[in-house]
Amino acid sequence: MNEYTGWLLDLYPHPERGILLWLLCDDGRRRCLRQDFSVTFYAAGSFHRLRDLWIFLKHQPMRIELSRTERRDLFAGPIVVLAARMDSPVILPGLFQTLTCVFPDLTFYDADLHIALRHAAKYGTFPLARCHVAADEQNVIHEINVLNSKWDIDYDAAPLRILTIEPDIDPMHDMPKKLNFQTKRNCITLDLDGSKPSLGWINYLLSQDDPDLIVTSHGDTWLLPLLLRLAGEQDQPLPFNRDPHGQIRYKKERSYFAYNQVVYRGQQFHLAGRMHLDINNTVMYHDYGIDGVLEMARVTSLPVQTVARVSPGTGISAMQIVTALENEILVPLRKEQTERTKTASQLFREDMGGTVYDPIIGLHEDVAEVDFFSMYPSIMVRFNISPETVDTTKPTADLVTDLENMTRRERCGLIPQTLAPLLEKRYKLKSQLLTLSRFDCRYKSYKAGTAAHKWLLVTCFGYLGYKNARFGKIEAHEAVTAYGREVLLRAKEAAEDLGFRVLHLYVDGMWVKKPGCKKPRDFQPLLEEVRKRTSLPIALDGIYKWVAFLPSRRNKKIAVPNRYFGVFQDGEIKTRGIETRRHDTPAFIRETQMQILEILAKASDVESLKECLSEIRAVVRERQNALRLGLVPLDQLIVHQTISRNLNEYRAPVPAFSALEQLETVGKTPRLGQSIRLIYTLGMPRAHAWDAAGNFDPRRVNIPRYRRLFDRAVDAILEPITGMDSSWLTKVNQLTFDNLQGVSMTAFQTP
Amino acid sequence: MGNVTPTITDILHAEETNLARFRRALRREDQLVFDDLFTAAYKHRAAAAYAGHLLPFETFLLAMQIEDHKEVTHLHREVENLRAQIQELLSHSK
Repeated sequence: MNEYTGWLLDLYPHPERGILLWLLCDDGRRRCLRQDFSVTFYAAGSFHRLRDLWIFLKHQPMRIELSRTERRDLFAGPIVVLAARMDSPVILPGLFQTLTCVFPDLTFYDADLHIALRHAAKYGTFPLARCHVAADEQNVIHEINVLNSKWDIDYDAAPLRILTIEPDIDPMHDMPKKLNFQTKRNCITLDLDGSKPSLGWINYLLSQDDPDLIVTSHGDTWLLPLLLRLAGEQDQPLPFNRDPHGQIRYKKERSYFAYNQVVYRGQQFHLAGRMHLDINNTVMYHDYGIDGVLEMARVTSLPVQTVARVSPGTGISAMQIVTALENEILVPLRKEQTERTKTASQLFREDMGGTVYDPIIGLHEDVAEVDFFSMYPSIMVRFNISPETVDTTKPTADLVTDLENMTRRERCGLIPQTLAPLLEKRYKLKSQLLTLSRFDCRYKSYKAGTAAHKWLLVTCFGYLGYKNARFGKIEAHEAVTAYGREVLLRAKEAAEDLGFRVLHLYVDGMWVKKPGCKKPRDFQPLLEEVRKRTSLPIALDGIYKWVAFLPSRRNKKIAVPNRYFGVFQDGEIKTRGIETRRHDTPAFIRETQMQILEILAKASDVESLKECLSEIRAVVRERQNALRLGLVPLDQLIVHQTISRNLNEYRAPVPAFSALEQLETVGKTPRLGQSIRLIYTLGMPRAHAWDAAGNFDPRRVNIPRYRRLFDRAVDAILEPITGMDSSWLTKVNQLTFDNLQGVSMTAFQTP
Repeated sequence: MGNVTPTITDILHAEETNLARFRRALRREDQLVFDDLFTAAYKHRAAAAYAGHLLPFETFLLAMQIEDHKEVTHLHREVENLRAQIQELLSHSK
């Protein structure tokens, strides 16, 4: 018997029996081991239909062990089910597809679960877990032990060998001429210009450097399809898979509707024995990078290649499945709980979201922002809110005022059980981050970890009410928001009782000020009081030197809840809802707005903001001139728009329509949910598609339209600062500082 | 998600639309006052939503009243201040 210790790289079904595991061993070798691993699914329904299923399965060519057993349904409790166990996990997806057609009236459980989740529930494994295995001479595992926990915050990171592949230009824009390959030891450029690009170098890299992780740019959508096609044409093997017998798993592109918008997921190429990440097809890559993807994989137990390409909702669902399997709870295919019947009055009182105030418009000094720590997940854990624990016999809104009595507390619910360790890990990481220097080697991975956790925790609340969630129930969803509202109102009352003025409330955060309170210690009594009244963790997010809450563009007297900007005492700028945060803002305008904010951030208090105006004036004038004279690089004027309808569904020749039409002409028809890039142009068509072929005459740029966007972005910042619109910038010759002396700094503040 | 019921902002928009004919028939100066009243209602959407009243327009009316009363109190205080200043000036001049 051989014993190996190392990191678990990959896990997938063996083509015949059990599963294959790739281990990055301590001796540096990458070993492929096989493990016997049977999978079981269950079926419930009427006796005679289960009998039919029994007969059907008995006549299948593969070996299936059948039995009658009792298992726990989360809502119905113990139920009698037919259990079907098979030694070859690879056959289950195909078989299950047949069963749903032949037996649509039966309820199936544990039938469509990812093999990695089943393994995680049984052995506690997770991607890149430290494992110790005992295997025989045929590399068949007899024993496997996991040496660390997914909840550890410090662990031995796997020494992954990484290969990055990047084209010289964005292939969505134009055909790249070169491909750059880089590993720790080699850096190679492949020329794509020739009629037959040589693939020998790629073969060499893959065999010599043997990477564990291939990070590509547009790998799923362009690069891998291209290289595999070239390999086919040249009849050359291209061993992207480490497993010589493994297949590259291909998933089709798709568009779907979620959260009131069309989402696009590009096609995918998953490798066997090594991992492939396409940074352009990785969800939230811009937010947490590779470190965040690896952390997502650890906590959800989904393979790295999968978790990178699915929404955080799928991640949280995977975590719930693992918890259910560990507790021997049946996992249904989809949500089976319907909403109970409610009166109109109950609907009005229960079907509500979080509390959102209209902030007090204007500029405010020495404002503290206090946030509940992951409020909704904390509520679920603290008050044991789970689909099976929520009391559905009474209206939530009536019970929530007494925080303790709303949920049944005799058993910890599935959702709190799933979330508690994740919350604890995030709390530990955030606490550590407060003490770490930004230059500490752990800082980046901790930061990425907390970002990954944040997305999982944000989605876990939505998943309680999501139509496709396996463990969802609308009453649990409503209970969370009911608690959220109660908790925030208690926080508001605590603040007002202590003499603070509440400027804004936003679901889980509160903006308060009080004369004389400027230092963190001045807000400690408030935090303690809120903690006492709500029993939930709350923290001071920061103290703003100044913050401006902005009015609606249409009605200057109405505030917009999530449109503000401010500067913390440490100089950090925070913006919400303004142009810098919008993905459809051209880079040139975004940068202008950010430059103005950076100048303002240097002011020590509200009074000294006026001193920044001359510098701002110079910047604005310079950039205005650059725009007017056509000196702004064209790529700085690109506008991104997400396609939400097909070409024939447009009723007016809006810029997006023009751009789509041009893209379709050159055969680059984007799918719904995909983002297109365009430049506003004068006359018709109203836009130029940046990724359409052909030269673009810069004189066609619609300067007046960009100027309007520019002025609006400048106005948004300067209005609350100067108390008047920025048309003064155009009348710059008449402007002296004396003109501004009389301007009230709180001109927009309501009485 | 849940949200089978319209949001409080949707309800307020609907109420404003329902009264569009009423607004149209008002004199211009009264139309401006009408708009101000609805602006006042917008400011208290959070409270109106939390109230969960079956007839939300009643809470909107109360919201208008609150803003109105705030304004009256504010003006009252201003008048008091001005009166005090005048008194002081008069006493000095004597």
